[in-house]
Parts: sequence; structure tokens; C-alpha cells
Amino acid sequence: MTIFSEIYGAYFRIAAAVLSKESLTEAEIYDIINKMGFRDSALFLPQKLIPRADGTDWGLLRKNHDGSYSTVLKNPPAAILTKLQKMWLKSLLSDNKINLFLSEKETELLAERLKDVPKLYKNEHFRFTDIFTDGDDFGSERYRRNFSAILNAIKRRELLEIQFTSGHGKRIRAKYLPIKIEYSQKNDKFRAYCYSFGHRRVCGCGTINIGRIEDIAETGTVIRSELSEERFLSRMKCDQPITVRVTAERNAAERFTAEFASYEKHTERDPEDGSLLVKIFYNPQDETELLIRLLSFGPVLEILSPKEFREQAAKRVKAQVELIQNKK
Amino acid sequence: MSGFSELIKSFDKTRDYMRDFFIYGCKVRNDFKRKSSRTYDDEKRRVESWLGGFLRYADSARGRKISICVDSGHIHENPLYQAYYSKSFTDNDIRLHFFITDILRDMAPISLRELTEELDRRFGIIFDEQTVRNKLKEYTDEGLVLTERYGKTAYFRLSDERADELFGGTAGLADAVKFYSETQKFGVIGNSILKSLGLKNDIFFMKHNYIVHTLEDEILLKITEAINQKRFVVLRSFSSRQRHSAAPSERENLVLPLQILSSVQTGRRYLAGYIPDYRRFNSFRLDTIKSVKLAERAENYELIREKYEKNMQKCFGVSFGERRDSGTVVPIKITLHIDEKTEGFVIKRLYREKRCGTVEKVGENTFAFTADVFDPFEVMHWAKTFIGRIVSVEGGCDAAREMFFRDICRMGKMYAENAENGESEENNDNIQ
Repeated sequence: MTIFSEIYGAYFRIAAAVLSKESLTEAEIYDIINKMGFRDSALFLPQKLIPRADGTDWGLLRKNHDGSYSTVLKNPPAAILTKLQKMWLKSLLSDNKINLFLSEKETELLAERLKDVPKLYKNEHFRFTDIFTDGDDFGSERYRRNFSAILNAIKRRELLEIQFTSGHGKRIRAKYLPIKIEYSQKNDKFRAYCYSFGHRRVCGCGTINIGRIEDIAETGTVIRSELSEERFLSRMKCDQPITVRVTAERNAAERFTAEFASYEKHTERDPEDGSLLVKIFYNPQDETELLIRLLSFGPVLEILSPKEFREQAAKRVKAQVELIQNKK
Repeated sequence: MSGFSELIKSFDKTRDYMRDFFIYGCKVRNDFKRKSSRTYDDEKRRVESWLGGFLRYADSARGRKISICVDSGHIHENPLYQAYYSKSFTDNDIRLHFFITDILRDMAPISLRELTEELDRRFGIIFDEQTVRNKLKEYTDEGLVLTERYGKTAYFRLSDERADELFGGTAGLADAVKFYSETQKFGVIGNSILKSLGLKNDIFFMKHNYIVHTLEDEILLKITEAINQKRFVVLRSFSSRQRHSAAPSERENLVLPLQILSSVQTGRRYLAGYIPDYRRFNSFRLDTIKSVKLAERAENYELIREKYEKNMQKCFGVSFGERRDSGTVVPIKITLHIDEKTEGFVIKRLYREKRCGTVEKVGENTFAFTADVFDPFEVMHWAKTFIGRIVSVEGGCDAAREMFFRDICRMGKMYAENAENGESEENNDNIQ
């Protein structure tokens, strides 16, 4: 078994989509390739799909009198689950979050259907060494209900009335339209990205920790107007990126690039000393988390700007120097 | 254009290039020393074809650099999955795929001979029986085709596990797969299911998302197979410090794989295993493993696993120390000053991040973290996230303590030159 197989490949998928149509024009074939293929697929694939006089095509289509093309197959191609895919699905059934998606009955039925399939992996094969231990309680009935209400509201675009306690301990009850659910592997928590509504109009946006929700109620109001995801995400971007210099000392550049791979960033390497000058784009909500992670690199990483951010680092370092000196 | 294909035969080479483009993001053509410039050009073009929208180009004095630029917390699909969908194949592979499955849908069960004849009758192509047999064997292994024997003859039929039927009958399954397709444990397989159904994840985002991990999934698949079968593997790997050298020296070890250790904060994943030759546990970074070959079964697997679990209780990260079977354990104590009235969130953080250590209040606004660990340096890296609060470090080893105090002194000097450094750098900033 392998994941890297042509049966999962883009070309096989495109061919299946083309062959599932009774007849189609050359333009429609190109359209499918452009939608489902890689950027350059239209340079390579059409001559293999569309019948050619020299017979170098794959022989999957025949040309009709009206210039259109039809499949040579009797039946439209079916998506059959491979053993690997079934083994993966079977493994999901043991995950502690699966109950957020499947009812107990659905889980039982799926387990019965996959009873002869071995698991691809067991959860104990993986150990997350530094995962936070105060993750959400995915097994609680209330959590499952709240998660399900948010998931359904996203799909129906329905306004919810949500009561929760904020990170600052403030109890809030308001109307929200959830648009996405975010999961953090590190925090082991789900958060909902929500637009808040007042008088049927958007009055803000933010994230709600699903574990902090105390009450949730459907309102029956469906929001039909377009609310752009980009607009929401743009509010989560910093005005000014953080600039840091990472020296080549202690393999720091390698460690840094791996650790901060999840951030959008621009990197420039100094050919003289191998140091990196990096601009990190971040969510201002995560500023403190970012600060402590950058400081943990010690003197091999220097925060250069913004000025206020560097000052926060300097303040902590100064406090630490004083603690050491007092000890002496 | 001749000679170039956007499809590839082997994943290994592409894995290295994708990683370099994504992780480092500052390499120019001349930095790719491992292969010829022609190879670089081909790999670059392929990555451009697969990931067009995520690529960023920047010109510098050293040349044009290409990088994969992604805010991985806000994407619906890991763009690196594309590499898995680019496997090359022969004309016969694709013909047989669609022709055989078409025949099996309305004529099964069917023997090899009948199938070969039907291929000719229905599609006008004469295939060699051996070619058809090989394809049937391959598809039986993949679970697409089922084989039944009647007497001496094998009959073939298509698996009836259709993705659309399974998903149609299980309401929440599509949402589950949308979520898990973006997680660390072989998410690409879930993505392949979604793609076969014409579905896309349009609901979930993943924070702290190390999308580059998917490039290790083929290696990981072999490792989980070995763990499932309690088998040793022959592991070929290189030192991560030699990653950028033209010809990194490789080593081979016989290893009993036990667990995947994944850091959700440093972006690294390791294989933890037992090396019988050295009689010790060790961790191998997954991104430095070149190949995995299954070897013999481990007779004493349970015993080793038991020892491993005991060792893990002293492992703060992934390091097992130097000694055989059980490494040298050293106690370490870090005392922190935290204002109980105003900084309750820091105390909470200490408790949730302490791992194998213990936390206790030892005085007013003073807390002590203690642990017995193999590698005190791993603790100190974490401890530095509490800079500004560390009252004392006791135990561990001299080198770790000295490095901490030296580091703080250097940082003190570095940040004492506050405004000057920051501002001058800002003015010279020429990143594109």
C-alpha cells in the first residue's frame, strides 16, 4: 500500500470526471482539466484524453458526428474506497473527537461496516510531547451539543444566540453567525470564528472558545447576504509584521524555520554570516504566545521591530537579569 | 517542452525540494547543491504547476529565490498534498483502470481469461493476460478488486465499498473527513477521499498547523505498518546538520519502532525506537529518514515496550540521554516568581505545560517546577519561555545551567541597546 499512487492522482480523477459525462465538447474537457488539474495540466492532458488520428491518446473517448465526445465505458466510473482509505476511516473511529461528528448509532454502523478492516494506526502510536493538558472536554454532552449547533449553523448560515464567558472572565450573550471552526493541535481546543450581529447587522467579529459556551440557541434567522471570509481574516492580521534576526549559531536558523513554519513569513539570508532576517505575519491575539516563543530561542534570536514589541522583550529580559543578579 | 512532465516517478526527490522551498524560503538556485541545475529547474517548474498560487518570488543580490508562502492557519486544504497526486503512470495503467472497473461493474464475478476477452470485445484492445493479471493483483492489494476462488479458477469482482454510498448513509461522515483530512495523522488520505467525491473542506481551519509534515507520510506509513506488526525496520537516515550539504552521509540502523513523538510547538516529528546494537532507545527525526525497510518480528516486543514506557516518564521531549537501556536521569528544579493575584493565567500555563514534571507552590508568589529527566537542555529551552520570572535553576547539569546564565547575560546586553538596534534595522529593511 502506498499513498503515492496514480489511483489517487489528479489525472485519474480528471479522467473519471470526463468519463462520467454522457457527452461533452472539447471546451468542456478543457474546463474540467483547468478546474481539477495542476496549473500546466492543460498542456499535457488534452492530447491524451481527446481521440487523435495517430492513436496516441488513451482511447477513453470516442468522437461523435456532431464533434462532441462520448465515453467508451458502459458505466460511469464509481469512486471505490481503497483498503488504505478504509483503514484510515477505521482509525478515526477511535479518536476522541469523532463523537463530535457522528452519533453513537452512526459510529456503531460504520464500525460494523468496517469490522474486517484493520486500523491504519492506533492512537497510542502517536504521542504529542508538548500538547497542553487543559484541552476541551470533547466527551461532554454539552460540548457535543454546542459543537453540533455551530457546525449546523455554519452550513445553514443561521444566526445563533450564544452565551459564553470570555477569556477575561466576562459573561456575554449575543447573536453570532459562525463561519468557520478552528482547531488548535497545541491547545487541543476548538474555536468558532463568528460575526456578531446587532439589529440584524454585523457589528463585529471574533473567536469564541467552544469550551466556554454555556448556552446556545437557534434563532431561525438565516443570513443571506454575502459575508466575506477574507474580510474576517484580514481583521486577524497584524498591521506590522515582527522582524527578527536569527544567527547561524547552535543550528538556530534551522530550528527557527522549522518551528515557525506555520506562520506566513518572508525570509532573507545574509550570505556572509548565514543569519536570517525574517518578517513574521501574525494574529495580534497571539502576540504574547509569539513573544515567549521567540524569547525561548535565547541570544541566537533578536527581536528587531516593531519598537513596542522589542520593548516588551527587553522588559522581560531586564527583569530576568535582575532576578539573576539579586540571586548573586 | 519535450522531456518535461508535471508527473513524477519517485516522491523522494520532490519531498526534499518541497521542504526546502517551504521551510527555508530563502534559497536561490545555487543553494540547491544536491542535484544538477537542470533537475532544480524541473523540480521548480513542477512545484510551480502544483502550487501556483502559493509561490512567492523575490530577487536578491544572490539570485531569484522561490518560496512556498502559506498562512497555514487559514487554508482549507494543505497545498503540499498536491505532490501526492502527481504520480506518473503508463498509458496501459489508465486504460486498464477504467476498462477493468467498467467490466467488473456489470459482469462480475469473472475469470482472468473472460476479462481479457471482454477487454478486446468491449474496447477493441488486446491486452496480454499477464498484464491484466498483474493489474488485478495490484488492485486486489489496494482493495479495489476482490478475488474469489471456485475450484482452481480465480474470479474477480469489484469491491462494493463505494465512497458515495458510505457517505450518503452516514450524515456526519463528510464533516468528519473534512476535519481529519487536515490533521497530522495521514490527513492526505482523507483528502483523497474528499477529492474522489468532489468535496472540499470548507469549514475547518487548523491553528499551529505544520503542513510540511505531510511530506513524511509515505515514510510514516511504513513505520506504522512495522509498529502494527511489531517488526524491526532497517532505517536509512542522515544527520539534520548535514541537510544542506551536497552529499549528506547516511547511516543505517536496525530499529524497533515504538512510537511517533510529535511536537506541536517545534514543528518536528520523531520516530522513537529501540536500537538492539546499542541496547538503547533513540529518536530519529522523520524528515531525516530516507527509507524504511521492514525486517524480522521482535520476539521480545512487549518487554521492550514496557521499558520504553518507563523511560518516557523521564523524557521531557524526545531525548533519551546517553546510557544503555535506561539513560542517566538528572533532577532539575526551576523556581519561578508569579504574581498570584494578577497572573493566574501564568500559573495555569505552568500546570498545563509541565509534562513529566511536578509543580508546587513553595512560597508567596513563588512556584517550583521539578522533574527527573534525561536531558535538562530540553527543560531549559521550555523554561526560557518564562524569561522574566525565573528565580533560580538548580540541578540539571552544569553545562545547561551555565548556558542559561550566559544566555541571559547576552540577551541583557542585546536588549539593553534597545531603540538603536531596532530602528537601524527597520531603516535598512529590504525584504520583498
